Amino acid sequence: MKRFGLLLCAAMLAGAARYETSGPDTEAFIQPIEGLDGEHAASFRKGSGIFRQAWVIGPSQDHPDFVGLGPFYNRLSCIACHVKNGRGAAPDSENGVARTMAARLSVEGKDAHGGPRVHPEYGAQLNPEGVPGVAGEGQAVVEYADFDVALSDGATVRLRRPTLSFRNLAYGSLGPETKTSLRNAPPVFGLGLLESVADAEILAGAGRPNFVFSVETGQRTLGRFGLKANQPNLKQQIANAFVEDIGITSSLFPVESCAPTRSECYRGASTPELTEAQLDAVVNYIRALAPPARRNLDDPRVKDGEVLFHDIGCSNCHRDALHVADFSLQPALNGVEIHPYTDLLLHDMGDGLADGREDFEAGPRDWRTPPLWGLGLAGKGGDGADFLHDGRARTLVEAILWHGGEAQSSADAFRNLPEPQRDALLAFLNSL
Amino acid sequence: MIRAVAVAAFASFFSILCTPPSGASANETITVVTSFPEELTTRYEREFERGHPQIHVRFVWKQSRDALVELAKPEQGGADVYWAPSPANFALLRDRGAFRKITVDRAALPGRLGAQQLSDPAGLYEAYDVAGYGFVANPSALAAAGLSAPRRWRDLASPEYARQLAMPIASKVGFSPALYDIVLQSEGWDAGWRLLSEMAGEATLLDSGVAPTAAVREGKAALALTIDFFAEIARANGAAVEMIYPERTAFLPAHVAMTTGSEHVAAAQAFIDFLLSTDGQRLMMERDSRRHPARPDAYQSAPQGFADPFALPDSTLLVYDSEIGGRRPPLITLLFDLAIVEGHAESAELWRKIHDAEKKFAGNAKAMAALGEAKRLAGFIPVSESDAGTRTFLERFARRDAIDPQHLAQWREEIGAARRQARDLVKSLEPAP
Repeated sequence: MKRFGLLLCAAMLAGAARYETSGPDTEAFIQPIEGLDGEHAASFRKGSGIFRQAWVIGPSQDHPDFVGLGPFYNRLSCIACHVKNGRGAAPDSENGVARTMAARLSVEGKDAHGGPRVHPEYGAQLNPEGVPGVAGEGQAVVEYADFDVALSDGATVRLRRPTLSFRNLAYGSLGPETKTSLRNAPPVFGLGLLESVADAEILAGAGRPNFVFSVETGQRTLGRFGLKANQPNLKQQIANAFVEDIGITSSLFPVESCAPTRSECYRGASTPELTEAQLDAVVNYIRALAPPARRNLDDPRVKDGEVLFHDIGCSNCHRDALHVADFSLQPALNGVEIHPYTDLLLHDMGDGLADGREDFEAGPRDWRTPPLWGLGLAGKGGDGADFLHDGRARTLVEAILWHGGEAQSSADAFRNLPEPQRDALLAFLNSL
Repeated sequence: MIRAVAVAAFASFFSILCTPPSGASANETITVVTSFPEELTTRYEREFERGHPQIHVRFVWKQSRDALVELAKPEQGGADVYWAPSPANFALLRDRGAFRKITVDRAALPGRLGAQQLSDPAGLYEAYDVAGYGFVANPSALAAAGLSAPRRWRDLASPEYARQLAMPIASKVGFSPALYDIVLQSEGWDAGWRLLSEMAGEATLLDSGVAPTAAVREGKAALALTIDFFAEIARANGAAVEMIYPERTAFLPAHVAMTTGSEHVAAAQAFIDFLLSTDGQRLMMERDSRRHPARPDAYQSAPQGFADPFALPDSTLLVYDSEIGGRRPPLITLLFDLAIVEGHAESAELWRKIHDAEKKFAGNAKAMAALGEAKRLAGFIPVSESDAGTRTFLERFARRDAIDPQHLAQWREEIGAARRQARDLVKSLEPAP
């Protein structure tokens, strides 16, 4: 009886702990999970500062701890792409330059660890900028071709199909065999909770796992982060972004991410530019960012939309409940059910969304189910409101209609819904 | 709404004048040295390149000291444009011949704010924005404490605001030496330091630029000293705070200039023209930037409740001496650490005792005279107003690592001695046990 009482108390305590945050819509993605202790709160603040900090070319009197930018890079800071911790924006239709995005590059075959074989001249991704004296690699440019999709009630929706090209390539042509994948900066809140979900719970889902290489352990590990689930944990995801996007080396990636032929990348310090303490702080910052709480739960349309979400099969992949297994930043959340609307697994999304590029065990048409929490607040904070892996969808309707492959039947079902039911489904998505 | 108007204006502007051919290639890169935050610079990059697809903007991020070193080099680090809130750097670099004359529409950009010169009269650098200094307040917290909003710097010396105030540490927060110099120029050197010491006595001292506003937003303080855009950004994002500009404050400019060594003169001028255009100036007022344009006509589409410094009453503006203001920050930073940060707990106790005694001896002229002297000693600073206005004296403190440690030790001792005398004076008023 005493044991039952203790369990009940623990469950009540766990149930009382909040993993979401409420607050102004414009600030929804920048809040920490409640109740961080002093040490973790301090680490969160430090990590927030590093996430915002523009990196500099050394030496520096003002910022000696932030030296090491480049020699190739996308942007100077994390926050430039993950604006207010939300998603990036698709390129302008006027000149099409991809800014808050990464263009991944590879050639046929796999690397020593089973990942994509990087481009021999440009490395793993195109970096448009170079420090003074080093030419940036060039720009990724997107052009769009519009086409209409008819819904069953006669309404039409205009979609835009992106075509990726490159200009001002400073180190020669990419070559016809190069595989490319344009990827928009995704939101970064709620990731600590997703990291804490047990492997077994993820593997019980209906999708396919991507097993990837863990740099720290040297082992084949379940991937759960990245648009193709090609990173095993937040530390590797973040360290990889630092080296690929800003040219900042770390203990996990001690060598600049450049092609072997780029001598610019092999000059300079041999010690990591991002210290272990800085990396830990940024990991703790991202780990502690709370997802926003749902809104308008009493709206009948939201309730109807939630039923429809399940009925037409969206929840087969956008799984509505997972559980926190071991969340060291806030143990009170251990065991709590969360609602990220992802299964963290790969699904064939059809030819329309295919990037034609493998990534460990992810195929050319595969994408990891993205979390939907916070979806209704996209764009409210000044972040982008362009959806899917390359931001081609300007609205949620467009995003749904692009679904193919395993999700084709759900997209078809949406197309066949009467307008009030479509609106109800959208009301539900906007409540997330 | 403002954002919508600005976006619409851009769309219209560029569709008429600047629609680039699809797939047009960038064939010129300009390098812009800046310390503005990346969210802002990326916004400018996107909007500028939309209208000028043949020009690519590369930002090199450097704060004041690093920028000064780089731009003073013969090749100027390859920079074409310097764009930053660092008035002292602009004056120093101009004197070293680092800038070339830029073209400015003086009818639209007055280059002045009241009696204060904002831009270089010879056209070697131009004001891009102005930032105001004052108080961020939480009206609810003030009301709960039964306090009215302060209107003057010296209001904050009143004991009723003790423990309600947060202040930035000058050596940790980039904007704060200028903030404290405005207080010193407004109140006078000695009285100003006395005021800073008294208001800091029981205040919370904070070590990042956003921290004072965050403290007020989170209810940890009812008031804080700040530069205005932190408060305005918080307000625009839903925080229940307001920005108060006290009487005799100042709005200090950020500038833009073209380097002498620029090899992309036309492209650099185009970027500068965009920064200073009405559309470019509106961009800085967006919700997460909330800076004040240097171009008066940009305020026609300002957000509701956003102050237009060109329309403020004369009493708000101090005639700020930017010549001295550009040279004093290293000394102010040093003295702030010595006189306010070091021994802060001890200083807080002294000011509390002085304030308690003032209440107790309110009708006692002799005691009040002693307490006046105790206040002077508690806020003592070991540098005269005359020295603090002398160029050669100020140059001795330009680099902190070059300051004679014995000098510092002597100042520390003088401050300590003055505080001991102040404590003795207060104690002398207490009845013998």
